[in-house]
Amino acid sequence: MVLELKNITKNFGGISALTDVSFQINEGEIFGLIGPNGAGKTTLFNVITNMFPPTSGEISFLGDKISGLKPHKITDKGICRTFQNIRLFSQMSVLENVLVGSHCRSKSGVLNSVLRTKAQRKEETNSLEAASELLELVGLSMFQDTIAENLAYGQQRRLEIARALASNPKLLLLDEPAAGMNETETESLFDLIKKVQKRGVTVLLIEHDMPFVMKLCDRITVLNFGKKLAEGTPTEIQNNQEVIEAYLGAEEDDEIA
Amino acid sequence: MLGVILNPYHLQIVSFILINIILGISIYITLSSGQLSLGNAGFMGIGAYTSALLTINFDLPIFLGIILGAVVAGVFGILIGIPALRLSGVYLAIATLGFGEVIRVIFVNWESITQGSIGLSGIPHLGRELFKSFQITGFDPDMLGLKNNQFIYLLVVLTLLLVNILLIWFFIRQNKSRVGRAFAAIKMDEKAAESMGINITYYKVLSFTQGAILAGFAGALYAHVMAYISPADFAYHRAVDILIFSIFGGSELIWGAIFGATFMTILPEALRFISDYRYMIYGVVLIAMMAFRPQGIIDVSLLNWFKKKLKIKRGGSLGIRTKKYN
Repeated sequence: MVLELKNITKNFGGISALTDVSFQINEGEIFGLIGPNGAGKTTLFNVITNMFPPTSGEISFLGDKISGLKPHKITDKGICRTFQNIRLFSQMSVLENVLVGSHCRSKSGVLNSVLRTKAQRKEETNSLEAASELLELVGLSMFQDTIAENLAYGQQRRLEIARALASNPKLLLLDEPAAGMNETETESLFDLIKKVQKRGVTVLLIEHDMPFVMKLCDRITVLNFGKKLAEGTPTEIQNNQEVIEAYLGAEEDDEIA
Repeated sequence: MLGVILNPYHLQIVSFILINIILGISIYITLSSGQLSLGNAGFMGIGAYTSALLTINFDLPIFLGIILGAVVAGVFGILIGIPALRLSGVYLAIATLGFGEVIRVIFVNWESITQGSIGLSGIPHLGRELFKSFQITGFDPDMLGLKNNQFIYLLVVLTLLLVNILLIWFFIRQNKSRVGRAFAAIKMDEKAAESMGINITYYKVLSFTQGAILAGFAGALYAHVMAYISPADFAYHRAVDILIFSIFGGSELIWGAIFGATFMTILPEALRFISDYRYMIYGVVLIAMMAFRPQGIIDVSLLNWFKKKLKIKRGGSLGIRTKKYN
């Protein structure tokens, strides 16, 4: 088991964004998190990475309790994320963005950097090699010197994935990776996520594009109003009465019945 | 020959430029992690008073005094940097400005040690001390055709120049490394930087402290170049001057701070002939600058343009081009 959420609750003042959410993600899975807008999906990402600490509940990663750790420590442990509203380092080049991603996998400090010690040069070379390999993977090799904000939207999304992968995560959190993409872009994103899975990375993704999710994910959890509504394989979810009601409304179903 | 060219007044201005460049770099470093500090005049004062008092009262060698001045300023940098982490933008600027004023008021009121607003005089002069050690070796400036006075100022300039080159080298290398990338990432998007595994607490305090150390270092050098300091030298107008070096020159690159410090030091001197109007012109230049080029004179695209030009020159194709236009 890679990630385990036990009874996660998150309140913002009097509003309950997440109530008693529990689920487990197995190693190597592509796990989908779906639900209507405002269901608490992104909040759940923020709780996992401890951008907001949960009000109650516990999160374990590879058997260790991680709730309460600082966000950068969580990245260090092997969880890295992308953002719904792309948050690249917009003034840096594409390559530099990926290099920042490898920050927690390197350790040269000020002195080693200034003196360019042997260890530091080796580390830089390794980071550079890893970065070029990742840019190759996401298909951005020819743009490595482009300033990130000048990339097309779909490319920026792919760059965020490369940057996150540079931290060598065991679990990758993708927040709406297909949002705003056209059909071709979505298809190549599908291939990319499959390739990421083949590298041994477990993936947890939030997505609204249902055909995409159903085709890609091994298992899915549905959130509605901060509560877990259902969990199962794509087929099970598609046939779940409660899920259909949450998405389509109950009355219509009654009429059909 | 050399004796005719080297004018002590000009040498003095060059040494001010070199000290101001260090101050410009000090604010550039803090800005490079996205923190706007107006406390660098305070850190400069701490460095200046520490080194001056140690060398006057305890006969410490100048070089040791200067290093200790920088270290003490750095310790204050850590002490201020940690609580200041909670603040950003304008709030941080105001808090650090307050810190600078507190430091100045301490210098004014702690009369038994700092002589209050009269200031400290008789601080060992960097040039004269260096000159003494040259004299021991039996060297006479006359051998270069220089008067003692000229030689002393020349020694100051050369020492400062060496220090500047070392510092610029240091920070350019740091910038191109993992540390520099962490600073830049924090500046551009703190939340994303944190999510990429960067310990933002550590790097923000690091950059703030580096700025403090540099400002303290520059302050100590200033004390030993002027041989006289008073609390007024480290008042808030100095903090603003330091900030202007970097903002005017361009805060994206270290070259911006260097250019800004050089230009802003020369400008009032060059305008001496219209003494009544020179600070008006200084102000107008600043306003024009913010209106037409808010990112500062030197930015990344200007640097890239220069690099391209250089490449063309090296390739030899520039020659052909100029022929065409002729």
